[in-house]
Amino acid sequence: MAKKIGVFICTGCSIGEALDTEALARVATKEKKIPLCKKNAFLCGRQGAELIKQDVVAEGLEAVVIAACSPRINYDVFDFGPSTIVERVNLREQVVWSHPADDEDTQAMAEDYLRMGITKAQASELPVPYLAENMVKSILVVGGGLAGLTAANEAALAGYRVVLVEKEPFLGGFAGRMYKSAPSRPPYTDLEDTPVAGLVADVEASPLIEVHTKTTVARIEGGPCLYDVTLEKDGQPSSFRAGAIVVATGARPYDAARLDRLGYGRYANVVTGVALEDMAREGKIQRPADGKPVQNAVFVLCAGSRDPGHLPYCSSSCCVESLKQALYLKEQNPDAGVYVIFKDIRTLGRYEEFYKKVQNEGVIFIKGEVTAVSEDGSRNLSVEFADLLLGERAEAAEVDLVVLATGMVPSTVDYAEQGAEDCPAGNVPTVQQPVLNLAYRQGPELPALNYGFPDSHFICFPYETRRTGIYAAGSVRAPMDLAAATEDATGAAMKAIQCVELTSRGAAVHPRVGDLSYPEFFMQRCTQCKRCTEECPFGAINEDEKANPLPNPTRCRRCGVCMGACPERIISFKNYSVPMIGNMIKAIDVPEEDEEKPRIVVFACENDAYPALDMAGLNHLGYNAWVRVIPVRCLGSMNLVWVADSLSKGIDGILLLGCKHGDDYQCHFIKGSELADIRLSKVAETLGRLQLEPDRVRMVQVNIMDYDKVPGILDDFAERLVEIGPNPYKGF
Amino acid sequence: MADNSASSGRLKYEAGFAREVYGMENGSYLKLCMQCGVCAVSCATFKIMDYSPRRLFALVRAGRKEEVMKSNTFWMCTTCLMCKARCPRGIPIVDVMHDLKGLALKQGYVNYPQAAFYQAFWQDLAGRGRIFEGGVTARYFLKRGPKDFGKIMAQKDVGLKMLSHGRLPLRPPKAVKGKKELMQMVAKARELEQKGAN
Amino acid sequence: MRYFFYPGCSMEAGAGSYTKSLEAVARALDIELAEVPDWNCCGATVASSVIGDAPAQVMSLRNLAMVEGSGLDVVVACSSCYMNLALANRRFQNDPRFRALATKSLAAGGMQYRGKVRVRFILEVIANDVGFERIAARVKRPLKGLKVAGYVGCQSVRTIPWEFDDPEQPVALDELIGALGATAVPFPLKARCCGASHTLPQGEITSSSCRDILESAGEARLMVTPCPMCQLNLDAYQSEVNKAYGTNFQIPVLFFTQLMAVAFDLAPSTYGLKANIVAPGPVLAQYGVAV
Repeated sequence: MAKKIGVFICTGCSIGEALDTEALARVATKEKKIPLCKKNAFLCGRQGAELIKQDVVAEGLEAVVIAACSPRINYDVFDFGPSTIVERVNLREQVVWSHPADDEDTQAMAEDYLRMGITKAQASELPVPYLAENMVKSILVVGGGLAGLTAANEAALAGYRVVLVEKEPFLGGFAGRMYKSAPSRPPYTDLEDTPVAGLVADVEASPLIEVHTKTTVARIEGGPCLYDVTLEKDGQPSSFRAGAIVVATGARPYDAARLDRLGYGRYANVVTGVALEDMAREGKIQRPADGKPVQNAVFVLCAGSRDPGHLPYCSSSCCVESLKQALYLKEQNPDAGVYVIFKDIRTLGRYEEFYKKVQNEGVIFIKGEVTAVSEDGSRNLSVEFADLLLGERAEAAEVDLVVLATGMVPSTVDYAEQGAEDCPAGNVPTVQQPVLNLAYRQGPELPALNYGFPDSHFICFPYETRRTGIYAAGSVRAPMDLAAATEDATGAAMKAIQCVELTSRGAAVHPRVGDLSYPEFFMQRCTQCKRCTEECPFGAINEDEKANPLPNPTRCRRCGVCMGACPERIISFKNYSVPMIGNMIKAIDVPEEDEEKPRIVVFACENDAYPALDMAGLNHLGYNAWVRVIPVRCLGSMNLVWVADSLSKGIDGILLLGCKHGDDYQCHFIKGSELADIRLSKVAETLGRLQLEPDRVRMVQVNIMDYDKVPGILDDFAERLVEIGPNPYKGF
Repeated sequence: MADNSASSGRLKYEAGFAREVYGMENGSYLKLCMQCGVCAVSCATFKIMDYSPRRLFALVRAGRKEEVMKSNTFWMCTTCLMCKARCPRGIPIVDVMHDLKGLALKQGYVNYPQAAFYQAFWQDLAGRGRIFEGGVTARYFLKRGPKDFGKIMAQKDVGLKMLSHGRLPLRPPKAVKGKKELMQMVAKARELEQKGAN
Repeated sequence: MRYFFYPGCSMEAGAGSYTKSLEAVARALDIELAEVPDWNCCGATVASSVIGDAPAQVMSLRNLAMVEGSGLDVVVACSSCYMNLALANRRFQNDPRFRALATKSLAAGGMQYRGKVRVRFILEVIANDVGFERIAARVKRPLKGLKVAGYVGCQSVRTIPWEFDDPEQPVALDELIGALGATAVPFPLKARCCGASHTLPQGEITSSSCRDILESAGEARLMVTPCPMCQLNLDAYQSEVNKAYGTNFQIPVLFFTQLMAVAFDLAPSTYGLKANIVAPGPVLAQYGVAV
C-alpha cells in the first residue's frame, strides 16, 4: 500500500526567486501524484514547522518531503517524531546557491531532486531498533594499571558496574612500581607520589567494581551489551556478560638486549630506566656490578627510539621520566655528575618548568649520539658519543651508571624470532599477543593502526579501536605518560558508557550516533561468498561453518559497506537499500541525446564530500547543472549495480566522491572509500563488454575542506564526458 | 666562526670548569641554556667571535676551560643586550659575558687589546670617580706598548678632527668630591660579594 | 616639570653639544633640569667586568642616593649610563640579596638608599611627560621634506625591554622626528649596535658596524641619535668607514636634541652644531639654518 506523503516546498533563502516553484509543485502533484504539496516562504520558522506538524497529524502523513535547505542543517526543526519519515531535498545549497536563477537547467535540476526525494520517501521504511534479550550495561576493564584503574573508577563514579581484570597478583601496573612521578601541579617542579595507591584504594572500596587479579580473558564473544566473557584464574574459567570493554593493558619497555651497542647485557652497570625506577623505589641507587655509590651517571635518551633499526617512533614520556630519574640521583647525591645525552628534549606544556628545574640542579644536557659504551678493569664505564652541537667526538669517563631510556611497545604485541615477517612495532619482528581472545571472524585481537598500537583514526574515532564497543586507553593505545593516560582512560570510560547507553536502545554509536537502522540479510538468496564478512571494517559479521554470515547488529556501525559488497544485493536497511538508490537513479529525467544535455550521477560520501558540496553552495561557487548528487552513507556502501542502473538509464557519467584512503585514510568507516576504489577497478571490464568507455566512471578523493576544488572536479568530469560523447544507451 | 668544526681529538666531559663558572655572580644562569642558538643569530659581533655565545656555553659545560678563556668571544661582546632581550630562557647573557671577562682578567687571560682597555678604563675611573677619555687612551696605549703604535697613527686623523671640533677635552674633569667614600663603597661591595660567593 | 639630570662622563666631554642642546630644548619646553650633585661615573660597560656586577652597581646607586630625598625622577640622556643606573635600581628593588649588599656598601661610604628613585631615559620623558603634541606645537621651523634616520642604538630600548618602546624595532624616536615636521625613513638597523667601545682597541669592528648602519639608513639625509657613543662612532669615524670600505657616506649625525633645537628655531649658539664632524650645514641650509 502506498504510504501517505506530504511535500513541502520552501521558497525562502532565494529559492522562490530562482525557481519556478509552481512547476516544481506540479512534479509532485501531477507527475508523482502526491495530493498534498504546500509552499511556504519560511519553512524552518515556527509557523512553517507548525504547518507541517498540523498536516502530519490531520492528514496522517507517514512521510514528509521537505524541499528546502541541506539535510545537514535544521534537522532538529524538521523532526516530527519517531513515526514520521523525513526526506530532505537540498534545493538551497546544491541548486539555487550554486546555479544561475531563472534557468532551464537549474529548474530541471530542482525538479529531478524532488523526484528523487519523493522516490526515496516512497521506498523508505521506519527503522525498528535492534533489541536483544538480556542486554547489559556493565563494563569490562582489562588491565589494572593506572589507565585501567582510572577507567574503572570513572565508570563506577558514573554509576556503572565494572569488572576489572588484572593478570598480575596485584593492581597498579607499571605506574604502581614507580618511586615518584613527574610533577602534575603547580609549580610543576617537584616530584610527586604517583596517584596509583589512592586509585587502588578507591577501586577496592567501590561497591560497583569487581576486581579479579591473577586473571586473564580466555574468550569474548558477542557484541556491545551482549559480550559473553570467559575469564580464567588459576586454570578455572568463569563467565559473565558485559556491555562494553576498555582495554588498558599498557606497554612493555623496548627490549634493551637489542641495544648491545649501548652495552646492555654486557655490563652490569648499564641499566634501563625501569631498573633504575626499581632501585629508587627500594631506596638505594648504586652500581649493580659492585654496590658502589654512583658519582657519575649518563642517561641515554631515545635508546632504541626514533631509530629506524629499532622503534621508529617517539615514546613521548621517556624524556620527562629521565628528567625525573636524573633528579633521583641529584637527590641522593647533590654532587653527582649527571649527564643526559639526548636527540631532542621533548618536555611539552608545563613539563618545561620541570626541565628548567632539573637544569638548575646542575644536570648537564648534551645533544648527542652515543656511539659506544665500554668498561675498564674496575667496572667503570666510558660513554663515547658524537657531541652534535660542538661537532666533536666526545667522551664521558669514570661513569658509574648508564641509564637507557627505552621506548614503549604495546602489550598487544611481543617480540618474535628474527626473520618473522610481521613487524608492526617498527623494524623489530613482533607477534600479536592474546589479550582479548575475541571470537570474531576477523581475528581474535584488535587490529593495529601504526607500530602495533591498536589505535584508530583519532580524529574520526577518538579513544576507539576498530572493534565497536572496545575502547583502548593508556599506553596500549599510544605511547603516553601518566597524565595523558589518566585523561585517555577517562575518555575511554565515557565512550564505553555512551556505547552501552546507545546500544541498549538499539541505536548506533559514533559516527552515526543514534541511527536506529541496521542491515538485514535476506538469507534465502545468500551464496556464502563471504564478501560481507570479509569487508566489514568493524568485524561485525561472523560466519558459521557453512560460511553463512552471522550478523552482530550491536557491533555494527551502519556504514553499509556490506550492502555495497553483496553481489546478490540481499543486504539492506529499512531506510537505505540498493533498490531504493536504484529507483532514485531511475527517477532522474534524462533528456534525449539531441538536446545535448548530459546527465551525471554523483555518489557523494555524506561525511566529507556532501558537506563540501554544501560549502561550495554556501560560498556561491558555481558548477554545471548536469550533475545529480546522491548522498551515500559511505562510499563503501556503493553497490556496483548502481553503475549499471545509471548507464542503462542513459546517464552519461558516474562520479564517486569519497574520502582519502590509504595509510593516512580519512574514511569515517576506515576502508569504505578504499573498497569502493577496488570495486570500481573491476567495473572497467563490464563497461568494455557493454562497449562503453571506462572514463564514464570516475572516483575522486575529497575532504571537507576541498569545497573550493569541488566545482572544478565536477566541471572537469563534465568536459571529459562531452569529449566522449553521449551514452549510446539513452532512450533504451 | 669555528662552529661545527670537528677536531680529531676526543672531547672529555669534565664538570670542574662548569662548576667554577656556575659559581660566578651570573654564572648559574648558564645551567638553563638549552642551546637553541638564538643568542648566536642575535649577536652584533657574532661574525668575528671565535665561538658563538651558544657554543661558548657548550664548551663551558664540557669543561674546556682553556678554549673558553682564551677565546675572544666575551671580549667581542659590546653589551648591546640583544641576546639578553631575546633569550627564551631569560639568561642575562651580557652579564655572564661580564663575569667571564672578569674571570679572564683575574686569571691573567689578557691577550686581547680589550683587556688592556678595560684595565685602563677602570684605573682612570678609580683615580677620579669620573672618566677622562684622554686619560683612558693614554693608559691604554701605555699598557699595549709599541705594538699598537701603528694604531695610534691610524687614529691620528680622527683625533685631530675631533680636536678641531671641540670634541676632545684636553683637561680631565674634576674629581668626584666624595671619591674616597665612593671607593670605600666599592671596596665594601667587593668584599661582601667575595664573601657571598664563597 | 622638574627632574634631576645625570649627565655622565661623555656628556661632559666629547658629547658636550648633547648636554648643551638638551638644556636649550628643556628651557624651551619649560623643563627644569638640576644636575645630580657630585655624581660619579656609572662604570660604563667596563666596570662590572673588572670589579664585578654588584660593586659596579653600587657605584650607580650612589648617584641615586644623592637625590632620593627630593622625590624627583632622575633623567639620563646617555644610553650606557641609563642602562647602568636603571638596572642597578631595578636589582636593588627586586633582589633582596643585592639590596642587603648594596645597603651595607653604601653605608660604608656614609650613604643610604631606599630604592625610591625612578630612573628615566630622556626619550621616554619626552614621549610620555612632554608628549609629541606639545613638541609639534612648539615647532617654529617645520622640517618639511627632510628625510631623517632615527638611530636609537642598542642599550636604551633593551635595558628593560618594552618598558617604553619595542626593544628591536623602536618607534618613539621616529614619532619625535615626525613631530618636528620631518620624515622618518625606514631604517632596519635602527637598534643595531654601533660597535661601542671597540673603537679604541679594535676600530675595525666599529667601522664595520657603522658601515652597515649608515647603509641601512637608505635615503636619509640626516641621522639623529640619543646616544653619545653612537653619535661619536657614526660621526667622527664616518671618514674611517669611507676609507676602509671605499664608500662615500656624507650623513651628518646629530643628537636628536640638536634637531629639536633646529625645529624650535632656537639660537644656533645654544645647540652646538659646530661640534659635528660631518658638517650638517649643507643639509640644514635649505631650512635657513646657518651653521
